[in-house]
Amino acid sequence: MNQWTSLIAAGALALCAYSAQAAGNPEAGKQKSQVCQSCHGADGNSTNAQFPRLAGQYPDYLVQALSEYKSGARKNAIMAGFAATLSERDMQDIASYFAEQKDGVVTKR
Amino acid sequence: MRKCLPLSVLLILGFSHAVTAAADPTGDPKAGQEKAFFCSGCHGIPGWRNAYPNYREPKLGGQHADYLVAALKAYQSGLRSHTTMHGIAATLSDQDIADLAAYFSAPVKQK
Repeated sequence: MNQWTSLIAAGALALCAYSAQAAGNPEAGKQKSQVCQSCHGADGNSTNAQFPRLAGQYPDYLVQALSEYKSGARKNAIMAGFAATLSERDMQDIASYFAEQKDGVVTKR
Repeated sequence: MRKCLPLSVLLILGFSHAVTAAADPTGDPKAGQEKAFFCSGCHGIPGWRNAYPNYREPKLGGQHADYLVAALKAYQSGLRSHTTMHGIAATLSDQDIADLAAYFSAPVKQK
């Protein structure tokens, strides 16, 4: 195997790893997030300031937050109850739905 | 008078609670921008990742101020655990937290 083939192989591997993270299905997430929407807003732009905006947020951060609520690492009485009912797949779908909504959070320096 | 005593104690407690609530500092976005220098090292870089576990650190621009204050105070008290965020939040005063929240929550132009 010459240098080029190994480089291409490495690139392909990296691509696979990248796409594996963005595995959520936003359409399914829209359906599964009906309960979330009552506090966080239909498009993740909550109007009540005690509930964070989810629109535009990184999906992997949202999955991390939901996982921590489910495991109890992050404590919140309301979120613990909801997260407990979610599978890893559900979390990814819900996260991908909110992540692609407009007018949400942005990176600010 | 004796019958009134419990009532007056309640009243005083009520008033002091109102004073404490009102004492929550108002955030100054300009002061917050200067204090946000440290935050920007991670949260200001698009796609910057938390090392372990591996996930992108949350975008803060346009997030609600009340939520940001609650998050920083939870990191400060240890209710929300994250080694780096706990270390940073521990150095912040209530005024710092209010200023940072005011800065990050200010509307950001969408691309």
